[in-house]
Amino acid sequence: MSGEEDATVREPLDLIRLSLDERIYVKLRSDRELRGKLHQAFDQHLNMILGDVEETITTVEIDDETYEEIVRTTKRTIDYLFVRGDGVILVAPPLRTALG
Amino acid sequence: MSGVGEKVSGTTKTPADFLKSIRGRPVVVKLNSGVDYRGILTCLDGYMNIAMEQTEEYVNGQLKNKYGDAFIRGNNVLYISTVKRTVADGA
Repeated sequence: MSGEEDATVREPLDLIRLSLDERIYVKLRSDRELRGKLHQAFDQHLNMILGDVEETITTVEIDDETYEEIVRTTKRTIDYLFVRGDGVILVAPPLRTALG
Repeated sequence: MSGVGEKVSGTTKTPADFLKSIRGRPVVVKLNSGVDYRGILTCLDGYMNIAMEQTEEYVNGQLKNKYGDAFIRGNNVLYISTVKRTVADGA
């Protein structure tokens, strides 16, 4: 373990590079999520090119009278998508077990 | 009051030293949006981009998601904190 040589420290971006050409899950601002294949293009801003994408938009409404939360999801599919990096919150391999 | 920074674990003097010392530790990462992520820190960089393993996502204190690996974009990070106990506690 080279603890001394910090010039060659691995960055989180290097680890994203391992996911190139793999399917990934991306969490964006405004309660949006993407699932798609990460093509060769991404950069340090997390601008990305995704293919075969499914976008999920989640909205929660609260009923004024019953106070129950109504969770709605809207989905759409996009063949080829440029994602601007400043909207990205999180990137992960696709969830194997989807919760709730 | 001199030596304010020396209260912390003795070896960390600057934020950069802190970032170098916490690799491999269980951490809590709080985002600007209020969402919490708990996991084991794999690595991070000067922009506070973070790579973590065994990550759990908490929204309003409730566990919402689990990720085997997660990369978090640094501009969303409010703070990174170490945790004394392991992530699996209370699961």
